[in-house]
Amino acid sequence: MRKPIVFTSEREMPPMAVSLADMSHNRTGGWRYMRPIYSEKIAPCKNACPVGNDIPRILSLVSEGRYEEAWRLFRQTSPLPGVCGRVCYHPCETRCNRKDFDEALSIASLERFVADACFDLEDKISDRPKRSEKIAIVGSGPAGLTCAYFLAKDGYAVTVFEAASQPGGMLRLGIPSYRLPREVLDREIELIARWGVEFRTNTKIGQDIDIEKLWEQYDALFVATGAHHSRALSIPGEEFALTGLEFLKAVNAGQTVNIGKRTLIIGGGNTAMDCARTALRLGAQPLVVYRRTRAEMPAIAEEIEEAEHEGVQFEFLAAPTAICRRDGKLEVHCVRMQLGEPDRSGRRRPVPIPGSDFRILTDSVLKAVGEEPDLSFLSEHLETSEGIVMERAQGLLERAGIFIGGDAQTGPSTVAQAMRSGRETAYAIMRFLRGERKPKAPQLDEALRVNFSYFVHKPRVPTPQLPVSERTSSFAETKRALSVDQARTEASRCFSCGVCNTCDNCWVFCPDAAIVRTNGSYSVNYDFCKGCGVCAEECPRSVISLVEEEL
Amino acid sequence: MTPTLTGTKKVVTGNHAVSYGAMLARVQVISAYPITPQTQVVELLSEFCANGTLRAKFIKVESEHSAMAALIGAASTGARTFTATSAHGLALMHEMLHWAAGARLPIVMADINRAMGPPWSVWTDQNDSLSQRDTGWMQVYCESNQEVLDTVIQAYRVAEKVSMPAMLVLDAFVLSHTAEPIEIPDQSLVDEYLPPYRPLYKLDPNDPRSFGALAPPDVYMELRYKMHQAMEDALIEWARADEEFSELFGRRYGLIEPYRADDAEILLVTSGTVTSTAREVIDELRAEGRRVGLLKIRVFRPFPAQLVRAALQDTEKVAVLDRNISFGMGGIFAQEIKSALYNSTKRPPIFGFVAGLGGRDITPSVIREIIDYTESHDEPEDLIWVGVKR
Repeated sequence: MRKPIVFTSEREMPPMAVSLADMSHNRTGGWRYMRPIYSEKIAPCKNACPVGNDIPRILSLVSEGRYEEAWRLFRQTSPLPGVCGRVCYHPCETRCNRKDFDEALSIASLERFVADACFDLEDKISDRPKRSEKIAIVGSGPAGLTCAYFLAKDGYAVTVFEAASQPGGMLRLGIPSYRLPREVLDREIELIARWGVEFRTNTKIGQDIDIEKLWEQYDALFVATGAHHSRALSIPGEEFALTGLEFLKAVNAGQTVNIGKRTLIIGGGNTAMDCARTALRLGAQPLVVYRRTRAEMPAIAEEIEEAEHEGVQFEFLAAPTAICRRDGKLEVHCVRMQLGEPDRSGRRRPVPIPGSDFRILTDSVLKAVGEEPDLSFLSEHLETSEGIVMERAQGLLERAGIFIGGDAQTGPSTVAQAMRSGRETAYAIMRFLRGERKPKAPQLDEALRVNFSYFVHKPRVPTPQLPVSERTSSFAETKRALSVDQARTEASRCFSCGVCNTCDNCWVFCPDAAIVRTNGSYSVNYDFCKGCGVCAEECPRSVISLVEEEL
Repeated sequence: MTPTLTGTKKVVTGNHAVSYGAMLARVQVISAYPITPQTQVVELLSEFCANGTLRAKFIKVESEHSAMAALIGAASTGARTFTATSAHGLALMHEMLHWAAGARLPIVMADINRAMGPPWSVWTDQNDSLSQRDTGWMQVYCESNQEVLDTVIQAYRVAEKVSMPAMLVLDAFVLSHTAEPIEIPDQSLVDEYLPPYRPLYKLDPNDPRSFGALAPPDVYMELRYKMHQAMEDALIEWARADEEFSELFGRRYGLIEPYRADDAEILLVTSGTVTSTAREVIDELRAEGRRVGLLKIRVFRPFPAQLVRAALQDTEKVAVLDRNISFGMGGIFAQEIKSALYNSTKRPPIFGFVAGLGGRDITPSVIREIIDYTESHDEPEDLIWVGVKR
């Protein structure tokens, strides 16, 4: 205790009740039962990103015009920002905290912007440990490419085997160029190759090369062959239908495919949408026949919207029962469906309505009712279950040094999921080769609480689009890049959830002056902090947590 | 709205005169909650903030209590602060009014005089502001839109000088919604008149202090004494502020304003807009040869008791016109004037009239009736209701 100031007359007193002496003897921290701690959180966008891109930091760099740094930050988690910025289903945007304030950030457009702006940049090939182990990757789709990138960056010799004539897997074979221009894909594969990854194309597993041989020659093997086997319709006349994937592969390879004036596409997934929009660009009138309603379509919502926008026709609640030839055309027999009880997927099961048969006359039929992996090349003593290897961590195959990932493991999924699988497998292979166990990754809390009072409403910058009139006559990319101004404006809308940007609010608001500010960072002086929580409340972006004091 | 016309004549309502005054005073933080008839004051200010005419933070709040609380916080950091309210809004602020004064924060507020409910009324009378008489806020009653604008600027000058909050008061609709041509002073002149606010102590993380802490009985009374001293000082500061204002802008209002009072046998005491009506009636009565005059009370807190005493003690009779009522006693201005004169050796009889409650018009004939009554009665009466249908 200091000596108290004693006033002998009102003249000595200040006009109001204000402390005039140093009060630091009064260590009010002892009153505290809640403790504020600075603990950065994971932004929901980043948490939702299968690839784990550090979105808030990247957007902060974009808003400052620091595109190269943004691009290099992308490449710490992803070798394919140009691809993802175009084709990803952006679960980041779905989780963006800003959607509860006005509109989610246009994260995908910004990723694409960064990739485009840095198209000519190259990775700095760093000094890597020299490693003797060789790794074979079968399949050069997003899973294989991502796995190769992370292994090669860590010094491993990686060889990628690809059945097609060029690497890229489904990115090249399945995704139409109006969604993913090939120069973008080529460039990002080229940058992976710069790390010393060897690509052996025109080499099909089980045909040109044997898995047992690879297993002998390499120290580890990653099977990322994707899901290319089209499911059957199991109806009479199925042989008249072309598989959607074959159709896309042919068109994407530049071959001429004659589908006539009218084409009927069976299915409601992404392949169906790609088929329909591709058919439109070949001058056909596509009609999508789907057995449930629009709400149950498994395709990405954006793809459905774009298809509708471009003029694709839909016939919902209809299922084909037979395909016949008639007068040089095809006649598809359909039955009207209604939705019954929910099935295992949670969607309502379509049930045929008796006597509701109808027929559609068409020039061609494309079936796109799903794909599945074809793992027939695996020899019999390599265990799989239901065509898919079970949990890698527990499966026999991991111990054997053979890893399966991407669509080959999960069945058809997204590019981003395949990339996650590729990266995780890269690390699993490293651990396998070094005899390490999987470390327990610290689980960061999500930054879910944003103090909206500190933000002003600002509309989302729409992604520029090619007009529909210019779309259907060519395979030109439909989405356009944001301008520099648009990108910076849009990036500046980011709340930076969970990431401190030294706004000073905690320091300004602390009623006990217990926040210490030094060189752009803060700490709490617990001798004086009473644990009132004002700092945590006023932190706009959820960086400060309030935890109970341990007794 | 073209808001940057300064140094020009402009036709504006009383409410907008308030807004222009606050803008010219370069207020830094505004917090307000809308209430009829005040809303236009802060509407225009919010536009000024939005379009950049005024670089101020406009804090939206959920009540008048919060509005005042926000300004107390802002003023504590050294910001120049402003709000406006009316009637029930002012009543809801009551607790915070004490706090602002006790913390010695020079917050300035406009109160648009509106009658209290129930029954609901949006029209004018003075009970809302007079109910806050003892909170430690200065109160200035305005008669014209020009006076409104000028008083906002003067109020900051005085409030910041003596570290006490100030409330300017204007009649609902009669002034708030009535447009008059006024001069919008030049910003550079206002800047010359009103320097930036520099508080003695302020909230600052770099120089942390504790404010408003517990004061034991051995110091509390001194702090209250100092508040009263500040109010006494404010009487001098209002006179000084008015004097310097007239030098720069050519207009002055005084703390009180006598009108044709010199040889008056009856002096009518008024406040607010009814003063303008009374001037007309006095002119008419003078033309008829009757020796009547007028005393307008402008600054009500601090109460200029000496000035009032000097102005009234030599007349034969005093008639006080109150647009308010303290139930169980009478008009509040009449009470104040009686108490100001009581310790004087010369004490003219005082007639207390209550009129115009809830916005009922006080017409020239009402004022004539008050003068006639005073003239024809020898014994003073504490409370005479004017115009009550009985």
